[in-house]
Amino acid sequence: MTELLQNLIDGLGRGSIYALLALGVAVIFGVMHLLNFAHGELITVSGYASFWALGAGWSWYLTVPLIVAVSVLTSLIIERVAFSRVRGADDFTLLLTSFGVHFVVSAIFLLYVSASVKTYPRPAWVTNTFAVDSLRIEVFDTVVIVVTIATLVATTLLLQRTTFGLSLRAAAADFDTARLMGVRSNSVIRGAFALSGALAGIASVFWLMRSGSTSPTAGIDPMLKGVLAALIGGLGSLRGAVLGGFTLGLAEVILRSRLPDSVASLTEGVVFLLIALLFIFRPQGLISVPHAERV
Amino acid sequence: MFPNLRRDVIFPVCGSVILFVLFVGVGLAYQSQFSGAAERLVTFALIDAILVLGIQIYVGNTGILSFGHIGFGAIAGYAFALFAITPAEKLKRIPDAPFGLLDVNVSPWLAVVVAVAVTLVVAFVVGIGLARSGAESGAVSATVITLALLFVTHELARNWPDLTGGDRAGLSFRIGGTLDSRVPVYLALLVSIVLARLYAQSRGGRVAVAAREDDLAARAMGVNPLIQQMVALLISVVVVSVGASLRVYENGSILPRDMFFNLTLVTLVMLIVGGRRSVTGALVGVAVITTGRELARRLGQDGFEVFGIGLDGAPLDWIFRENLKSVFMGVSMLGFMIWRPSGLLDDWELDKWLHSRFGRRSEVPPESLPVIEPDDSSVLVAEGVDVAFGGFQALDDVGIRASRNEVVGVIGPNGAGKTTLLNVITGLVESSSGSVALGGVDLSSAQSFRIARSGLVRTFQNLRLFAALTVRENVEVSALVAASLRRHRPPPDVDGLIAAAGLWEHRDRRARELDYGTSRRLELARAAATAPAFLLLDEPTSGMSDSESLLMVEQVRQMAGLVGAGVVVIDHDLNFIIGICDRIYCLDCGQVIAEGTPEEIQADPVVQAAYIGSAAGD
Repeated sequence: MTELLQNLIDGLGRGSIYALLALGVAVIFGVMHLLNFAHGELITVSGYASFWALGAGWSWYLTVPLIVAVSVLTSLIIERVAFSRVRGADDFTLLLTSFGVHFVVSAIFLLYVSASVKTYPRPAWVTNTFAVDSLRIEVFDTVVIVVTIATLVATTLLLQRTTFGLSLRAAAADFDTARLMGVRSNSVIRGAFALSGALAGIASVFWLMRSGSTSPTAGIDPMLKGVLAALIGGLGSLRGAVLGGFTLGLAEVILRSRLPDSVASLTEGVVFLLIALLFIFRPQGLISVPHAERV
Repeated sequence: MFPNLRRDVIFPVCGSVILFVLFVGVGLAYQSQFSGAAERLVTFALIDAILVLGIQIYVGNTGILSFGHIGFGAIAGYAFALFAITPAEKLKRIPDAPFGLLDVNVSPWLAVVVAVAVTLVVAFVVGIGLARSGAESGAVSATVITLALLFVTHELARNWPDLTGGDRAGLSFRIGGTLDSRVPVYLALLVSIVLARLYAQSRGGRVAVAAREDDLAARAMGVNPLIQQMVALLISVVVVSVGASLRVYENGSILPRDMFFNLTLVTLVMLIVGGRRSVTGALVGVAVITTGRELARRLGQDGFEVFGIGLDGAPLDWIFRENLKSVFMGVSMLGFMIWRPSGLLDDWELDKWLHSRFGRRSEVPPESLPVIEPDDSSVLVAEGVDVAFGGFQALDDVGIRASRNEVVGVIGPNGAGKTTLLNVITGLVESSSGSVALGGVDLSSAQSFRIARSGLVRTFQNLRLFAALTVRENVEVSALVAASLRRHRPPPDVDGLIAAAGLWEHRDRRARELDYGTSRRLELARAAATAPAFLLLDEPTSGMSDSESLLMVEQVRQMAGLVGAGVVVIDHDLNFIIGICDRIYCLDCGQVIAEGTPEEIQADPVVQAAYIGSAAGD
């Protein structure tokens, strides 16, 4: 029982980051029907930015807003340079465009920035733990969970209470009709990329705190996690994306603690296999978004 | 299997041989120009071409983006290595090899066969998964499943050292040197080109391409796209397995990372740059990308001379660096997706071009076809159909009957449930109760392609043509489906139908280039070419002018007559319906409110009320 509770807390901590990433992926899928395989690059770019800032003597706490700002900016630049040019293209083109962005960004970092892994200091409290009964809880996990919940509440308010939120939800439900009703496609799409960048920025802070390092290919892992979580939840469903993030986090923690040692290193493979199976038996994800085709 | 021997077998085979000679010729010319390492580069380009052709067979014909083919390649590569290397060598590398593989000792050529067989089994299982996930052109879920395959094989290879030697360079296999001669590579390449071209021209390939263009329309013609996707997958995996085995043989070793993301990226970029829908394009892509990567690599290393101009790296050092080629790959992929997503050649094929230049073809439209007298044995009956969307009762106890020697119309104002009724009959919408039967055979809960096969073929209100195919190919593919399904009847005459539909002069134009009225006529001709028992037409005159509608009356009658089909037509254009129908049902608010001859319907006060407004009925 204690072990299960421990797993649950660890899984929530891990899942929070995935949920933030997945939500960013789902927001963009909603407005552009684009599965963003370049989402992880926001973490690469903002990670390097914070590395430079730390090197220039910034305090760690100042790098937090920097990471978020760089992530938002990068997201907007990527939209402007690449995705705005393929709006309305077929799914095949969209998929490969986002893969192309992913490869270009990581190749540019590899070539012109650094091929080596950058490590940097973290505040001491990140690794501290405290005990509740027999549970060992990381301070870090607590912070992640609390901040994530706050972010999700803020995002919900943004989507429910503002005109931008209404436009975005309308566009996610039916982009063409939303446009006919006067929703401005440019501002909604840019807003979606900015929101997605902000969510990725917060996730990036946590991701970098946990790993304590970054490299040109550091974006692959968070990208896969975010995309897979969004897929598990059912693409296009924002609630589903959050649910998918927590599900993926829990599944990883439980698999890691329950699989026999000999196959524990296979966790990633097993997670992928489970996701493939999910797609085979429930291709619409956990929460299905009605997607009627008019004939 | 092949509709036309000259066009679909002789020309493609000859074209493939020419392509092969050109491709190998370019390689040999390059090799003689730059000696030394160039030989290895060319060998790998030849092997990459085999892999890319394999991927093209699946991705090009089905439109499903696959990241998993190099994962299949990894399975084939390891299977090949495990069978091909000597027991003595295996004892050194993997002394604990499972399944008694340690003692296996076969010739490399038998090992290739084993590799193909093992990979085919895996591909079959993956293919069933893809089918279950609802794979169709551009489907995200299918792409993610292929991505999962790539990652799972990679993880397995890394974490099963007893079988694969694990992750480290020191544990790689050595098979015993590189390929002694290029003959096997040449042979495999030639066969791959021929196979890729023949598959695309075969009935199965054409049907797969139709489903790529429009999955729903293909199903409505009687095609089950999942079968063709599986066939394409298996053929493509055979080619990829052979390519992967040759790659391992040439390399002399296999490591998990050899068959992972990097090779996936390289092969995909080659395919999309050349043009994924074209075999010729795939080869062009391999040549262009191999050259570009080599150029980028050399520039990245130390600069070199191009056409006598020395490109010394020094002043441009900040840009020409070690990993320039990975930037080149990423930029190629992104640039082509943004500016030319269909690649350099789109779907251009050498042999198709040769055939259009030199193939014999008739320029004269064929004589008009004889009218086929419909046999009146099979009657279409829909009874007691109920459909509710949420709380909205779209159809309430609706029934219609039609026999094959009449034209039956269904009219009603917008929202009356006409299209829903047609969707229920053709299996696109499920009814909560009621039945649909043709000639006494119940079709109530059958899938749409089975309903089409039993003889109910429809058109769509919002045109669904196979956009990238020509007019002739659109009609031909449905005639092919008809010929394979209803063997006891003569196959429909494609040219005759095209001429009768007034499409003769447009026959070589792509469907996406046609104007609206012509597109409508093509959809009618395509439906007729399946030689159905009934043609079900969904608003064939929507968006047409009055004179065009009148023309359509003739067109529908003529088409139905040529294939001996009954007609059920849905429209809200009262003049059109009255002009064409022998009997009419009037729907309003999901219920049949009147039934009779055109005269009876016109005189019916209830119909007038529904059409003109409630005031007339009061």
